[in-house]
Amino acid sequence: MATGDRDAFGRFYDRYSPLVYPLIVRIVRERGDADDVLQEVFWEAWQAADSYDPDRGSPEAWIVMRARTRAIDRIRSVRRRSETFVAPVDETLASGPVEPGGNAADRAADRGLVTGALAKLPEVQREVIELAYYGGLTQTEIAERLRQPLGTVKTRMRIALERLREIVGRQAG
Amino acid sequence: MNHETMDTQAAAYALGALDGDELTAFEAHLAHGCARCEAALRESGETLAALAREAPPAVPPAHVKEALLRRIGARAPRPSPAELRRTWLRWTAATVAAMLVGGFLAAGFVASRYEARLGQAAREVAVLRERLLGEEAALRASVAEYQKIVELLRDPATRVVALSGAGPSPAAHGRVVWNETAGGHLLVTDLPPTPEGKTYEAWTIAGGKPKPAGVFNVDATGHASHRLDPAGGPVDVFAITIEPAGGTPAPTGPIVLASAK
Repeated sequence: MATGDRDAFGRFYDRYSPLVYPLIVRIVRERGDADDVLQEVFWEAWQAADSYDPDRGSPEAWIVMRARTRAIDRIRSVRRRSETFVAPVDETLASGPVEPGGNAADRAADRGLVTGALAKLPEVQREVIELAYYGGLTQTEIAERLRQPLGTVKTRMRIALERLREIVGRQAG
Repeated sequence: MNHETMDTQAAAYALGALDGDELTAFEAHLAHGCARCEAALRESGETLAALAREAPPAVPPAHVKEALLRRIGARAPRPSPAELRRTWLRWTAATVAAMLVGGFLAAGFVASRYEARLGQAAREVAVLRERLLGEEAALRASVAEYQKIVELLRDPATRVVALSGAGPSPAAHGRVVWNETAGGHLLVTDLPPTPEGKTYEAWTIAGGKPKPAGVFNVDATGHASHRLDPAGGPVDVFAITIEPAGGTPAPTGPIVLASAK
């Protein structure tokens, strides 16, 4: 490999790791896990530099998406283990906050993390973003947890994203 | 179809929340190319990146970068004390530069992926070359073998013996091109692969006494070709049995192919 590649990668890491690291920490919650995930994210980015397509978005969006996906993979595997070995699924769902990585909305609220653009969303919209994006729940899981029809959850997610786009667009402009 | 459904799915997809059949359907829709969904996903990606940018940045522990650089084969810088000041200046300059021309740095990374792509192409060519060399060697080996069989057939003393399938593989067929003084070649077709830990073993039988004539395995198409050494005298029957891997001095397994007495 050319050294130019490594230098460019070093700069890429220096520029984007401070951005994605807090996101990973927020999702996986354990620093040690976050360090592992961060390393995996940039290792894969190094290997997949080829697949980055500028037409599909900024390098920033690319690395943020990869970081979020890997962090969610991590908590999903933890959740699968805990569901298998600790509690039956229905009990876990009923007990809510006990589920690791599950109730991101509660966690975020507890820790006063709901700020910025998210804070400007109505509660029901913020909730679905938190559960999906930071909590790694799928739309079906969110519907079960909130005891809402699937269609309602889907609509909330779409409207929430649209509003977020307007909010961050306004802030940027 | 009403695109409303896809717009809703695109939002769930961007949040990583789409699941089940809807996920499969949406990915198929994307694979067909949909400018509207691609634009929506791009927008959502940038929105979520902007959300990440709202959090205060946090520099991760240095060991992560060190481990990464080790993994990609870069050596961690080990500056001498005299170099430290220069290094520090360079880092400061680099940091300031990074702030000013961040976009260019990202572009540098993007440019570097073309270098990576060239490296990838070189590796693929090397793999192909390796494979061709391997195939050429295999072809040479087959040609040498066929030449030996043809030479055997030129000898009037050479006979061709038919083998028919028996026991577990009735569909199998075989031929032995046999010359008492020069030995011969066994050719088989439609013989299934042996089970794990087993092999085929050839036997030359004279006066009711089997003599081992080597072990062999079939290829994926059920073919095999196996060289037989001279048996030191006339042979009445040729037979193939299934034996434990490595073969045995006397037959123990079922006969799969045999010539008529």
